[in-house]
Amino acid sequence: MATSTTTRPAAATTAGDRRPRRRSTAVTRAPWILVAPFLALFVLTFVLPILVAIGQSFTTVTREGLFGEEGVTSSFAWFENYRLALEDGNFVASIGRMLLFGVVQVPVMIIAATVLALLLESASARWPGLFRAAYFLPYGIPGVLATILWSFLYVPGLSPIIDVTSMLFGFEPDFLGAGTVLWSIANIVTWTYAGYNMLIIVAQLKAIPPELYESARVDGAGPWRTAWSIQLPLIRPALVLTTVFSIIGTLQLFAEPQLLQTVSPAIDSQYTPNLSAYTTAFAYNDYNVAAAQSVLIALVAFALSFLFLRLTNRSSR
Amino acid sequence: MRSISRRELLGLGLGAGAAAVLAGCATPGTTSVNAQPVVPAARSGEKVTLTYWAWLKDLQKVADVWNARHPDVQVEVAWIPGGNAGGYQKLYSALAAGGGPDLAQVEMRTVPEFMLVNGLVDLTRYGVEEHAEKFDQTLWSQVSFAGGVYGIPQDSGPTGMYYRPDLFEQVGAEVPTTWAEWAEVAPAFRDAGIMIDAFPLSDTSVFTAHAMQAGATWLRTAEDGWEIDMASEVTLDVARFFDKAIDDGVVSTSLNPYSPGWFAAAADDKIASLVGASWGDALLAGVSGAEGKWRVAPAPRWDHGYGSSFIGGSTSAVLANSKHPQEAMEFAVWLNTDPEGIDAMIEHSGIGWSPARDYIGQARQQPSEFFGGQRYNTEVFQPATQEQNPDWQWWPITQQTFNILADGFRTKATGGTLVDAVVAAEQRTIEVFRNKGLTIRKAEG
Repeated sequence: MATSTTTRPAAATTAGDRRPRRRSTAVTRAPWILVAPFLALFVLTFVLPILVAIGQSFTTVTREGLFGEEGVTSSFAWFENYRLALEDGNFVASIGRMLLFGVVQVPVMIIAATVLALLLESASARWPGLFRAAYFLPYGIPGVLATILWSFLYVPGLSPIIDVTSMLFGFEPDFLGAGTVLWSIANIVTWTYAGYNMLIIVAQLKAIPPELYESARVDGAGPWRTAWSIQLPLIRPALVLTTVFSIIGTLQLFAEPQLLQTVSPAIDSQYTPNLSAYTTAFAYNDYNVAAAQSVLIALVAFALSFLFLRLTNRSSR
Repeated sequence: MRSISRRELLGLGLGAGAAAVLAGCATPGTTSVNAQPVVPAARSGEKVTLTYWAWLKDLQKVADVWNARHPDVQVEVAWIPGGNAGGYQKLYSALAAGGGPDLAQVEMRTVPEFMLVNGLVDLTRYGVEEHAEKFDQTLWSQVSFAGGVYGIPQDSGPTGMYYRPDLFEQVGAEVPTTWAEWAEVAPAFRDAGIMIDAFPLSDTSVFTAHAMQAGATWLRTAEDGWEIDMASEVTLDVARFFDKAIDDGVVSTSLNPYSPGWFAAAADDKIASLVGASWGDALLAGVSGAEGKWRVAPAPRWDHGYGSSFIGGSTSAVLANSKHPQEAMEFAVWLNTDPEGIDAMIEHSGIGWSPARDYIGQARQQPSEFFGGQRYNTEVFQPATQEQNPDWQWWPITQQTFNILADGFRTKATGGTLVDAVVAAEQRTIEVFRNKGLTIRKAEG
């Protein structure tokens, strides 16, 4: 007891003395401890792989003998892998193909999503909840299954669509030909993601204060005028966001063409940039060139997103 | 004591990351297992568990037959997707990470590609030669390179011609025994709205088999490196033949054999024949209403070359990171040559043609109900295995050459020719070899 009474003031004073300092170290340390699990995973699964890929893209492997059995050497290659990637006509063509795809598919999808959102949020909409769920439903179907479903609608001999058109018009559309399969893929992508983008836009529409609608009505604005002058300008951020996501998504197209390959001879192993990098790495075992391709894809996606944001920022000023 | 600032921590993280990158930067597959000491066999009584990654269905049931007999060496099978559909990608990544199974199913044509990443064990170091004579010699030579043996043949597919006697009768055509006769009867089918066969532009293994049958050998190993002779007259003749067949509209290029569209056309009596591998029998059974309608004949011949060729085919290969290569090899030899193993694989896994020299499998000696009571295996395919191109070899970028060729073939739809595609593919293959640092030259002649 005695010891405790004698020591308590001392402890109190030292504690009182130190408390501000201890708190400050605790305060600076706490966020790091809290953020550490995230940071560790982030570094391990995101930063490191990117660094490794960049490192690989500057490495080249040369072999001696028939299979490299007489020696294999790795060396720094400068931009040799990038040269090989860019000289590969199929890889460059795949980026061009995705640009064409994006220029057509992204606006179509964003316009469709916007129209659906505006219709659902208009005053005269019936059962908006039901329709919102219905439009969003395709997003809940994994891309792989969606592609398999659609492929049965594309393959001649199985497709009811082709059966109907040939019966009614004597015309058999070729959904899987060299010139058409890209748009068949665009159709699947639009079907899957239009509802998802619609939901983002709906969320922003719901955030528009009701007073704005009221004052518009007081000023005599009809539904068209309201959509054009109130709703569209106010959902701009959502439109920009969905468009940027769509641009990035376009460049990363992979599952749909990969699966349609089995029914469409027109899709080659380097049909999209990601398919090309995948084939180069895991079918050709050329990890170095594949790394260079991946870096190039990332750069193009970054450049396009940046360009789009710049353009939209400028026009809003 | 000063606390670490955010910037310092970031710097530290980046520094550690960079160090890890430098350490991990070695491109996978650049060290050879076959230069390291031989792994000794397990001591008697030691328990060994082998893993086998394969895309054959129900292979575990076959392994269980072995497991019951060999309590000390247990085999566990894990299913992977077939070949380039994802299985190889899995294997390559596992190898690159320094792991992977003891055994893996690797196609004949992919064996050299796995060798290029140092993924396979040279089985001559574990005494595989004593088993050599149990196997078909053509297939054995397809897994032998530079004095080594890199896989145990597991199944394959000698080609023959599946055909519909009723459709041949309908157009009044004889079943062709040569490709010249085939070209003569083909237009009669076209005029009746039927295709005599399909020519897949995107799956070039079929064209390759035709060239192989005609006597071509695209690549061979020489003392000082690889020798390529893809655009030889023999191959170009085959390309010209099918250029004409496509131009004449007698073969379909939009229906790849065994694709959903092809099945639909076959069920609709629009496909009269199919020159394909022995394993096509199981797939044909998937054509609705086909029971009893098809028969099998030997493949048509070119005026030079051989009676048949092999399409597809895979091996049980021992992978580089196996801890028990000796036991793995012994299991693979049992699996693929022991009548018990072969019969179990036919029953459970539906394998293609067995590579065992003396045993085609109990079930395959019986008359087939599907083919109208024909004993097609002993009548057609068994003799076909004796009429193979013995010089054919696969090469380390087979898949890439196939893809390059397929990309060229696809231009057929827009005015290109198969001949040009073959010539261009040879050139491109040479470039890819050189980019990988391998020595290659065009064969003289």
